[in-house]
Amino acid sequence: MSQEKKYGLIAEFETPGAVMHAAEKVRDEGFKHWDVITPFPVHGMDQAMGLNRSRVPLFTLVGGAIGFFGGMLMIWYMNAYDYPIVVGGKPMFSPMYAFPVSYELTILLAAFGTIIGMFLLNRLPMHYHPAMKHEAVARASDDRFYIIIESTDPRFEVKTATTMLKEIGGQNVTQLED
Amino acid sequence: MSTSGTKENRSDDTRKAAGEGFAFKALLIGGAGLLLTLLGLLVGDSPRVGLGTLIGLTFWLSIGLGMWFLIMLFHLFDAGWSTVVRRPMEHATTIFPWIGAVFFVLLFFSLFASVDDGIWKWMNEDNTVIVAGETATVEEDVLYHHKSAYLNNAFFFLRTLLYFGIFIGVATILRSASFRQDGDGDGAWTTVCRKWSAAGIILGGLAATFASLDWIMSLEFHWFSTIFGVWFFSGAMRAALAATVIVCLLLVYVGSFRGVFKQSHLYEIGRVSLAFTIFWAYIAFSQYFLIWNANIPEVTYWYVNREYGNWWWVGLALLFCHFFVPFLFLLFYQNKIRPGRMLFISIWILAFHLLDLYFNILPAKHAESGWPYYSFGVSFWDVTAFVGIGGICVWAFVKSYLSQKPIPIRDPRILESLNHHE
Amino acid sequence: MISLEETKSVNESLIREARPASVPRRKLVENDRDFNWITERVCGIVEGGTPTWWWVCLLVSGFVSLFTVIGTIYLIAAGVGVWGLSNPVNWGWAIVNFVFWIGIGHAGTLISAILCLLKQNWRTSINRAAEAMTIFAVVCAGIFPLIHVGRVWFAWWLFPIPNANEIWPQFRSPLLWDVFAVSTYGTVSLLFWYVGMIPDLATLRDRAKTRIRQVLYGFFAMGWRGSHRHWSNYEMAYLLLAGLATPLVLSVHTIVSFDFAVSLIPGWHTTIFPPYFVAGAIFSGFGMVLTIMLPLRSIYGLHDLITQYHIDCMCKITLATGSMVGYAYAIEFFIAWYGANDFESFAFINRAFGPYAWAYWIMITCNVISPQLFWFRKVRENPAAVWIICIFVNIGMWFERFVIVVTSLSRDFLPTSWGYYSPTVVDIMTYVGTFGIFTFLFLLFLRFLPLMAMAEIKAVTPQADPHHHDQGGSH
Repeated sequence: MSQEKKYGLIAEFETPGAVMHAAEKVRDEGFKHWDVITPFPVHGMDQAMGLNRSRVPLFTLVGGAIGFFGGMLMIWYMNAYDYPIVVGGKPMFSPMYAFPVSYELTILLAAFGTIIGMFLLNRLPMHYHPAMKHEAVARASDDRFYIIIESTDPRFEVKTATTMLKEIGGQNVTQLED
Repeated sequence: MSTSGTKENRSDDTRKAAGEGFAFKALLIGGAGLLLTLLGLLVGDSPRVGLGTLIGLTFWLSIGLGMWFLIMLFHLFDAGWSTVVRRPMEHATTIFPWIGAVFFVLLFFSLFASVDDGIWKWMNEDNTVIVAGETATVEEDVLYHHKSAYLNNAFFFLRTLLYFGIFIGVATILRSASFRQDGDGDGAWTTVCRKWSAAGIILGGLAATFASLDWIMSLEFHWFSTIFGVWFFSGAMRAALAATVIVCLLLVYVGSFRGVFKQSHLYEIGRVSLAFTIFWAYIAFSQYFLIWNANIPEVTYWYVNREYGNWWWVGLALLFCHFFVPFLFLLFYQNKIRPGRMLFISIWILAFHLLDLYFNILPAKHAESGWPYYSFGVSFWDVTAFVGIGGICVWAFVKSYLSQKPIPIRDPRILESLNHHE
Repeated sequence: MISLEETKSVNESLIREARPASVPRRKLVENDRDFNWITERVCGIVEGGTPTWWWVCLLVSGFVSLFTVIGTIYLIAAGVGVWGLSNPVNWGWAIVNFVFWIGIGHAGTLISAILCLLKQNWRTSINRAAEAMTIFAVVCAGIFPLIHVGRVWFAWWLFPIPNANEIWPQFRSPLLWDVFAVSTYGTVSLLFWYVGMIPDLATLRDRAKTRIRQVLYGFFAMGWRGSHRHWSNYEMAYLLLAGLATPLVLSVHTIVSFDFAVSLIPGWHTTIFPPYFVAGAIFSGFGMVLTIMLPLRSIYGLHDLITQYHIDCMCKITLATGSMVGYAYAIEFFIAWYGANDFESFAFINRAFGPYAWAYWIMITCNVISPQLFWFRKVRENPAAVWIICIFVNIGMWFERFVIVVTSLSRDFLPTSWGYYSPTVVDIMTYVGTFGIFTFLFLLFLRFLPLMAMAEIKAVTPQADPHHHDQGGSH
């Protein structure tokens, strides 16, 4: 009973190499609900964890497309439809003169899309998380590396998971409160 | 061990023999193409054949120049990933002397052509030009007299000599330093390359700029644009990157690049190619937009002429097919890592680079009405010139390729490049 | 089809032959510092006591920024007549200062975005400060066109917001493009800066001793916990932002150049303006980055993080962009003659030998000649010399904009409408004050936010490579 309240297990590693090799093993064990905590992005960790390529670019593309076509439409509406007036002998609407502004709006909305996408996919901001309750994990933003296996994982079982984490080089393996 | 050694040697020998056979065929085809083109200049519609030859020349030259710039940039940035792809580029710079030789033939042809038969109108004072809507001779053209201190036959000849001197000189130094490093593994060659790249990028930048002004922009010598040299540079870089993809994949196919040229290299080239696609569009847009917006007749006519007849469709094709299609295509990760897709888009870019050169060169000859004399089309002589010069370039490349190691085995960054990850 | 990942017939014999010559890469972090040292050194700037010089500088810069505040209030109260503007020069220092500051900002975006795309790892120790510089420079730049419109209270008409007159902004005007370009640039730069800072804010949060620090850094860190699932999306988002910021930075100065180039004024209407302005912007920006970073490096003892290699790289970029600017000057001059347009050639002769020749030659000396000294290793390795040259670059780039704006306007088509422009004391003080604003904001940044991208610096150290120990063990 009491174990179900636990969030999961956490193990500490000293080097990026150690945590990456350990992650490869956790991946090969078939765990799904687990995570690696590092102070900086470790190169090659995506493959070690078996993650797919991030889906952020989709958000960027959608934002950019809205920006470009929205910009063109806005300029056409304002300068050629709602209040047409000849200026500088230019056509009422031309994609040429509308381009600079539409271009800027493309970039702006694509940037918004990227950032919104990143926050949505990461479920941030999340100011409370069990991992952050763990005392030592503050060093994860400095020079330590951690692996967390969540108790919700179907393969999770405290004893076997603890031994596994120790076998793959994890130190100070402890349980996380939820 | 000795048996496997001889086996490798034997396969190397057969490979070399096959390569030499291929080079010889390319030389034969190239020679035949050039002879036909020469015939075309003498018996055909000579300005059309001349302009077609110039298009072919600038096409192949721009690939070589772009690769030459890339080599220098790689040296200057001390790039790690690019070492394996640098070697084929070094071989490609061996085409400069041959391109130069053909160029001088074209130059002499234009110098000694009869009235209105040459391609650079200002070369003969009796040639026809359109001045303020009226036909006149170059002799009567005040604009020509203003520019004659720069646009005259002797100076043009000397400048062309100087450009090729710079191209050939710096490229030869860089190439031989890299080849010699294969032998002795001395890091000093890398320093030599860096120093010459720093000098070469400045000399080369100026030479390529003025070459493009002389050879292409002065075809319509009334017209001027300060960005023209940058346009030529951006096109050359795109062509060179596309050609690099094709060459590297061919080398994977014949075997020497197998396991050497990897997905990660293809991806990097794809990224740079995307960047230069955007850069080309930026430059082309800037030039068009500023001229369109200011609407001053003395420069606008250049674009107005290029909206005449079927040139209008060529312009649109450039916008959509030379920019939008490659841009959208190269945005996607999967397209940059699949050899088949990269091969496709590279051939595509080269094809539209050629069209871009048509767009800039062919409408230069004016009819008496002031409109372009030639509408867009590919003539038989265009093909002979393209294949002729191309054959010679392929021959020069393969000859150099067979004489050296496929990759710079002693380059200080060779392992970084071989082990490169995305 | 050809497969690149095929392993069967790999050209093994060739790969075995590869033995690199020894030309070691220079280190990005000297003295093999570990992760913790980097954290301590960078956080120490924010967490340590407030140095006296910081207070002195803050007070001085605060006082200087009052010049801009007072100048602006006076201008709004009295009208733009308090500036030296009058026919024919109706664009004076305000536009010069605008282009100057916006150009300074571009190096920040360049370092963080373009160098990120080019995988130039040396950017990591300078990108944060350079991005901060970008944002503060955009703040300074934004002031000038805003107050230059004359009736500032109508400035909101520039935005596509329905107003009582039922008219819309006029999108054929390059000045409106500027509004969109600069506001997009400011917004995206701010977001890029902030997103890059999130992991470092988390570090500060985790180290915070006081409640207020915990709450504030905690709030802005967005609950970042270093999860690799997050890093994966974060890195992709960062790369995409870099990919967006690169065309953005090009477009901003391109549009600034359009302010001039779409007109018909001799000396302004020339097709090379867009790339030439961009090169000049990057040039001036790098000058400013070095101007700021060199003193900070010695004050905070950051020699292990901003190494000689970093300075070399920045000097070389300054040299390269300075030469590009020189190329543009030369081509402009050549085509002005080649184009055979009397007004155009007069504009250029007038620049070099007319009443503003002094400004032109200051520009040439500072922008084209002085950076050529960076060809010499001895110069690049002497921080004092580098700093002085960068000051010249800053001066030269201000004069470049002055030359472009003023010489062309003061003598255009009709000799009867020629004039000579001089600034008033209000012009000068408003400009001087922006240096106060810039410094003031930068000092605040220095004191409260992480000066360097710790996470990124850690990621480029040798020990961050997961295979580092594997290789080390085999020796």
